[in-house]
Amino acid sequence: MALEVETHTADNGITVVAATGRLDVAGAPMLKEAISEVVKNGPPRIVIDMEGVSFVDSTGLGSVISALKQIRGSQGELRLAAPNQQARVVLELTTLDRVFPYYATVEEALTGF
Amino acid sequence: MRGGHQQFEFRASFSDLAEGLDILHQSIDRLRQATGRPADDRPLMLFETALGEIGSNVLTHGRPRGTAEPIDYALWFDEGTVVASLTDSGSPVQDHLAREMPAHDREAGRGLAMARSLLDELGYERDGGMNRWRLVKRL
Repeated sequence: MALEVETHTADNGITVVAATGRLDVAGAPMLKEAISEVVKNGPPRIVIDMEGVSFVDSTGLGSVISALKQIRGSQGELRLAAPNQQARVVLELTTLDRVFPYYATVEEALTGF
Repeated sequence: MRGGHQQFEFRASFSDLAEGLDILHQSIDRLRQATGRPADDRPLMLFETALGEIGSNVLTHGRPRGTAEPIDYALWFDEGTVVASLTDSGSPVQDHLAREMPAHDREAGRGLAMARSLLDELGYERDGGMNRWRLVKRL
């Protein structure tokens, strides 16, 4: 399934970017585009909601690294929420779990952000 | 699938990126169903992750510029081992087995290192102007 991305603002002003489908070489540009739109509007605090992401490949992971660079370049912060087992394996295998704090749920990611 | 001895075979050709990725993942779903494995079966999930990496590399780089030569794909399972082969007519791949995981801030270059560590065997050979990839994992 191709990636679909929806963006909304939570009660505490955090932007939640919710992705659904495969975050792979075909889907990565959609996530990059969505993050770029958020960053245009000022210092961003973003949670990427991965609950609907069924599969992540290295290019998809690259789009998250790109997002992190854009967000930090704008004095913002990024958290990942609800990666599935496959996504967690990819994060751990690449040791990027040391770079991206990830949370079990969106609610946890929003708490204290 | 035949009898009590589990066997599975799937073959396809494709040239479009999105179509090719869909077929790769569908083939794993079919294998999962045919062998009665749960959706969260970890060895098969690791194999699918490696297949996604090699498959996307082949679909992205595996054709001479300006052509739409199809990529041949086969997946089979026998005696507890899953094997995939991908054959393309792109340029030769250099030093693929030596590629290491890049630094955290690099956005690309992880695919082959990931696939190598997820599989029991990652084979590559250049044969008659074709690239042949072979992915093997004991499930």
